[in-house]
Amino acid sequence: MKINLKRIYISVTIGTITGHVLFMLSDAGRGKRMKKFVLKRLGTGALVVLFSVLFNFVIIRLAPGDPTRLLAGKDNPNPELIAGLRARYGLDKPILTQFWIYIKQLMHGDFGYSYVSSSTVWDLIKTRIGPTLMVSLTGAILAVLIGTLLGVYAARKKGEKIDIFLCSISYLFDSTPSFWLGLMMILLFSSILKWFPTSGMYNLRANYTGFAHTADVLKHLFLPVTTLTLINIPYYFRIARSSVLQTMSEDFIMTLRATGMSERKIFNKYVMRNAIIPTITVFGITLAYIITGVAMIEIVFAWPGMGRLMLDSITKRDYPTLSGIYLLLSISVAVMMIVVDVVYAWVDPRIRY
Amino acid sequence: MSLLDIRHVNISYKMPEKTVYAVQDVSMSIEEQDSVGIVGVSGSGKSTLAMGILRLLPENIIDVSGEALLNGRDIFKMDEKELRNVRWTEMSVVFQKSMNALSPVHRIGTQMEDIYHTHYPNEPKEKVRNRIYDLLHLVNLSDRVYSSYPHELSGGMMQRVSIALSLIFQPKLLILDEATTALDVVTQTQILNEIMDLEKNMKIARIMITHDMSVVSSTCKKVVVMYAGRVMEQGSVMDVLVSPRHPYTQGLLNSFPSFTGEKKNLRGIKGNLPDMSIYPKGCVFADRCPFAKPHCHEELPPLKQIGDGWDVACFLTEEEIAHE
Amino acid sequence: MAKSRTKNRIHAIWHTIQGNSQLKVGLILLAVLLFVAIFGPMLAPYNPNRLYSETFSAPGGKFFLGTDNLGHDIWSQILYGASTSLEIGVIAAVISAVIGIAVGGIAGFYGGLADRILNEIMNMFLMLPTFFLILLIIATFGSSMMNVMIVIGLTSWVGNARLMRAQAISIKERTYIKSSIAIGEDRFSILVRHVLPNGIFPIIANTTMNISGAILTEAGLSFLGLGDPNVISWGQIIANGKSYLPRCWWICTFPGIATIFTVLTFFLLGEGLNRVLSPKMDANK
Repeated sequence: MKINLKRIYISVTIGTITGHVLFMLSDAGRGKRMKKFVLKRLGTGALVVLFSVLFNFVIIRLAPGDPTRLLAGKDNPNPELIAGLRARYGLDKPILTQFWIYIKQLMHGDFGYSYVSSSTVWDLIKTRIGPTLMVSLTGAILAVLIGTLLGVYAARKKGEKIDIFLCSISYLFDSTPSFWLGLMMILLFSSILKWFPTSGMYNLRANYTGFAHTADVLKHLFLPVTTLTLINIPYYFRIARSSVLQTMSEDFIMTLRATGMSERKIFNKYVMRNAIIPTITVFGITLAYIITGVAMIEIVFAWPGMGRLMLDSITKRDYPTLSGIYLLLSISVAVMMIVVDVVYAWVDPRIRY
Repeated sequence: MSLLDIRHVNISYKMPEKTVYAVQDVSMSIEEQDSVGIVGVSGSGKSTLAMGILRLLPENIIDVSGEALLNGRDIFKMDEKELRNVRWTEMSVVFQKSMNALSPVHRIGTQMEDIYHTHYPNEPKEKVRNRIYDLLHLVNLSDRVYSSYPHELSGGMMQRVSIALSLIFQPKLLILDEATTALDVVTQTQILNEIMDLEKNMKIARIMITHDMSVVSSTCKKVVVMYAGRVMEQGSVMDVLVSPRHPYTQGLLNSFPSFTGEKKNLRGIKGNLPDMSIYPKGCVFADRCPFAKPHCHEELPPLKQIGDGWDVACFLTEEEIAHE
Repeated sequence: MAKSRTKNRIHAIWHTIQGNSQLKVGLILLAVLLFVAIFGPMLAPYNPNRLYSETFSAPGGKFFLGTDNLGHDIWSQILYGASTSLEIGVIAAVISAVIGIAVGGIAGFYGGLADRILNEIMNMFLMLPTFFLILLIIATFGSSMMNVMIVIGLTSWVGNARLMRAQAISIKERTYIKSSIAIGEDRFSILVRHVLPNGIFPIIANTTMNISGAILTEAGLSFLGLGDPNVISWGQIIANGKSYLPRCWWICTFPGIATIFTVLTFFLLGEGLNRVLSPKMDANK
């Protein structure tokens, strides 16, 4: 079971990259520059992954303390364990050989074993990705929609009271630490109003199934998602507002006005299409950090996602898990960045050349 | 009835700290098929005048007085609907920075179609498309331009697109606001010649706003010389440019080298533009005028007719004529 | 003569501030903040490290904002914590600025191969999962204040570098730079003496906003227990209060408000400075 998932993950990554490459290369009318552009981005992406692999490898050996002990994760490892670790990671062999062993293991999708829990790193990670995506995707999408709508609205009403109000609120939420906001939400909505549960993803004691289970999860999902959304709305708000204002002062808007086009059409078709570009790119970049962005909130709400895993692994010095997480993050960030660049080129004809 | 009759137009920018009197008491009339050049340096108010006439200036910071009669109807008094009807169908503009004249993320053809539909929403697609192709051919552009994006064209090509766009409804009045300033001399000449041909065929009146006197002298029949928001001298090109009466016009012409004729030293005009936030007491040019008398600093010289269609705003010129 | 020039400058600055509401509010808040940071320890009614017997007392009465589980006075803790946040925030942002200016300046000014390499490095750094990296490095190398500042600086310099690079590229086209090079002046000294000082303005605004980010990051770190245990930090107080949340809400709430106040100050300052130093047609307020 676990091997299949590993393979699926790897093939999906490779498939996505290949798919995008093919898409870009095949688009008729795009010149050689586009191909060069794509290859360059891939190259950078590959470098990043390489860098993180190297970094992973180095940091364990750089960290203060004996790597064996660190890898053993225990204070008094028995000699057999030490011998086994040495053999496995080749710690007594020259450093280059160690590195080669490391790479080979990665190729097999073998991220190693965690010491904190007696399962493979991959097993640990795979159960956490789902919950993390639940919160982060929902939050990100809500934030971009609401933030952008409010930003566009504020731009149209620039200078009026509502605009000043929205901008001030935006500044306020932008300065708020996410974990504190989460705590305040718990305070208000769980403890005082008792509308929502305090933490976790579902009620462990009750054994809901089917629809009741979904409803339960949704109830638990509400506060974390709301917190995440509130924290991220100001960002999209500012970008949308500033972009719309910028676009409205462009020369071509004046041309269109001089032709007698209605303000409504000018705004809905021409202003929006131009102004939305920065939002799209920014959203893409946010998606790149979708796994780490929710870490704080997961921790505050005891949500069983990647963020909690990250923190636990770090505090417990579970280096194999950390390695695995870091690699996963690097790859997904690199992939997302490439996707962002492609989408940007698709959306803005100017940068295709 | 003139095509465009501008009467005593004043345009000021209202700002919290001060008011800038960008256009002061400007009057002129343009007949059908006229070609008028409005000349002046940056800050002389010529662009503000054009934008103001088209009502493209942001209404909340602008103060406008006077009348701008287009075929008898005052543009400043039109409501939104009437204004939109008039725009582009009776008068159109070609701006200076044509690279950004159209939306960079929409194809040129799409935008031209949209503009067409603004005034004729029910025209069938085919008809509109053919009309646009015809227009592009008119300005020596190929069909390919239709599906291109603005950044894919050169400056000259985009300028031609802007011109084609301005002619889409064959307006009676075309305003070119520094339309060829950003182009190299060769392209500029080509385009100007093309415009003049089109004018003859379509019976269009043209206002050219520029700081380049040579363009005016080679392509316009009438000229209006503006300085610091006011008209200094206006009349036919043959009169004003051959024997200018206003000291400012004389100064301007002296700063252009002559291709033929005697070699003489180029002379600029000493001094700087006056502060436009102070409404002038006397002649705006008095501080820089080599012939200024004390009287010139005290009173604003009115625009007086000194010949057939020739007006000058200068006390000295009045006296000269009186002596003759 | 010099006196009237300075007077004019002061007048101009005052006028700018008046017109720029973000700057205005930001400066007012900053004044309060600095006051608290400098005089806080003297103003604090109690020793923040001392334990009083009245544990869990609600705000009001003897202890202005209440006490925590061990009897620390929250108000005093907040006052002392201000200097921690400020110190870490400012120094981390400055480190980030220094690295950014250096990398961006060299990339933009020298161009060519150096630019391409540095550009790739910048892109790579952008792709790193910063939060994770910070956690990892702190956990590995210890959680002293110095480490926190350095690691935050190391992960946030790319923005500054990009700004500086853009500035360097445009400044090096200026005539006086070109003539200096033509004369034969050493390129490096041109970079340091002319290009950097002229291009630094957007970096100043950006660094101010980076201070906000640094403070938030530090708060997060100390909340997770990865901050310096030897100093008082607002995140720490919040972390401590988390377990007592429903009943003793004041332990968590007030340090959070203090954080918002501080972050907001630098954020507004940064935005205000941005408007002044790089005026554009767009967003006001």
